[in-house]
Amino acid sequence: MIRLEEIERSFRVGDEWVHALRHIDLAVDEGEYLAIMGPSGSGKSTLLHILGLLDRPDSGRYWLGGIDTLSLSEEQRADARRRLIGFVFQTFHLIPRLSAYENVELPMLLAGVRPAERRERVQRILRDLGLSDRARHRPDQLSGGQRQRVAIARATVMAPRLLLADEPTGNLDKAAGDEVMHTLERLNRGGLTLLVVTHDPDIGDRARRRIRMRDGAIVADDGSGSGPCTSATP
Amino acid sequence: MHIGDTLRFSGHALRSGRTRTWLMLLAMAIGVGSVVVLTALGEGARRYVTDQFAAIGSHLLIVLPGRVETTGTAPPLVGGTPRDLTLADAQALRRSSHIRLLAPLVVGSAPVSHRQLERETLILGSTAELEPVRNLHLARGRFLPAGDPERGAAVTVIGARLKKALFGNRRALGRWLRIGDRRFRVIGVLQPMGESLGANISEVAIIPVASAQSLFNTHGLFRILVQARDSDSIPQARRDIVDIIRQRHDGEEDITVITQDALLDTFDRIFRALTYTVSGIAAISLSVAGILIMNVMLVSVSRRTAEIGLLKALGSPQREILGLFLAEAGILSAGGAVLGGLVGLAGVGLLDWLFPDFPLAVPAWSLTGAVILALAMGILFGLIPARRAARLDPVQALR
Repeated sequence: MIRLEEIERSFRVGDEWVHALRHIDLAVDEGEYLAIMGPSGSGKSTLLHILGLLDRPDSGRYWLGGIDTLSLSEEQRADARRRLIGFVFQTFHLIPRLSAYENVELPMLLAGVRPAERRERVQRILRDLGLSDRARHRPDQLSGGQRQRVAIARATVMAPRLLLADEPTGNLDKAAGDEVMHTLERLNRGGLTLLVVTHDPDIGDRARRRIRMRDGAIVADDGSGSGPCTSATP
Repeated sequence: MHIGDTLRFSGHALRSGRTRTWLMLLAMAIGVGSVVVLTALGEGARRYVTDQFAAIGSHLLIVLPGRVETTGTAPPLVGGTPRDLTLADAQALRRSSHIRLLAPLVVGSAPVSHRQLERETLILGSTAELEPVRNLHLARGRFLPAGDPERGAAVTVIGARLKKALFGNRRALGRWLRIGDRRFRVIGVLQPMGESLGANISEVAIIPVASAQSLFNTHGLFRILVQARDSDSIPQARRDIVDIIRQRHDGEEDITVITQDALLDTFDRIFRALTYTVSGIAAISLSVAGILIMNVMLVSVSRRTAEIGLLKALGSPQREILGLFLAEAGILSAGGAVLGGLVGLAGVGLLDWLFPDFPLAVPAWSLTGAVILALAMGILFGLIPARRAARLDPVQALR
């Protein structure tokens, strides 16, 4: 599903170059549940942005679902995001003027899906996530947990193969956070590849595989070396 | 993304920022409205003047004594005053087959009195043909009798207002008036009509040309009004007039012939140019509205950075985001244009109601031009903020 080789990324901050990612090699199988952990500034967000095709590495190679992503144009990468990747953010990033229903509908609106199909898919996913009675509410009328579940509905309504969650429980209390994690894990059990970036060890411990980062490098990976993907790496 | 969805999404975004949306609509509406109102005023002025000219008659040529046109040569050292135009000159013009009617004109001012009432009045001395040539209409009685113009009868036709001033509501026909030191019998009263080239035809007294010549003790004519057979024969009539008068004046071309059409053309051109200028100035306000749209949309782009980042994360390529923001600019300028068109038409309607005599009209080119310009301005100035939005780095935008 995902294969990273020798990924390097550095930023210029003032006069200094910050090495955000160094020599990242990573393979993730279809359907895995992976937690990327580390203190802030360890490069885990940068890694997530590169995995989500929002950012490009300075060097290295990245295959996503068999596609060499570094050769894609801006338009092709946008298309790959649309078809393959769902994002869940710490701050939800719901559009405040739109209702829960409209927020979930948005990816399909942008993709040009027919209205009848849009309606059916939004209603089904809201029902699955127990949000049917909140469809007409705007984000400011929803609780934090509900907002994040609307965001998850939006991230998965296009049926992506990879779900990237950046501190999905960071703005939630314990109960709401658990509920959100349950939702994500249920989607993972359905076959969706799930990557969660977190600095919360409780959240990280729930994942089947954990990667620890420090200073832009992977320092521990308790799942590497196992699974079919690694063996398939040339 | 479908075009309908794009417009709906952008319209939704505009509705959420109600104040700025209304402000931008207002700016566009004022721009478009002022173009419409100002061109209507310019066009109205043009029509007013051409209507006035048309009202003095049709296919008219005006013959003036003396040469007032610039010829480019130095003025003659000797010669001085030109020869008078005489009644005989006027009669001679009848030889031309291109001339249908002609009316010699003597103009002067004299006190007109009836009993104790007296009024200083413009006196026109002319012949029976003045009636068709100048397009005059009688309310009562008849016009000057046809006959030898050299013989002046003591009769007069008076304007409606002069009749009112001297006789009030009493009957004027058949009464005697005193004009200067002579007595004239009123044989006709003109229909009330408006202003015509400054001379208010309602306040004149018209007498036979020979009577006017002796009243003002003049031999020459003020001018000769000539009506050509039709509009095609105007140039030939003009040549004939010049030829005939030159023969009679010992080969000297000492008259000026003004054609009504040329005069009309000149005024038409002047007022058209004026209308274009005024609407051009008004169009500048449209570009000001465009700049306002640009500014407000730049603010909106920076306030909606996270939303733009989200759209990118959801797979919108740059051109789609460009399209969304251009759609906002397009909706604003289209809405402003429609609103402005309505405001402009309402303004013109109001002016029309306030000044019913002024022939206001909104030319089609100004309405369509203003709307197209408003759209162009909105989209042109919307392009800069839209490009800024499209080029945002999604990682920065989502932070």
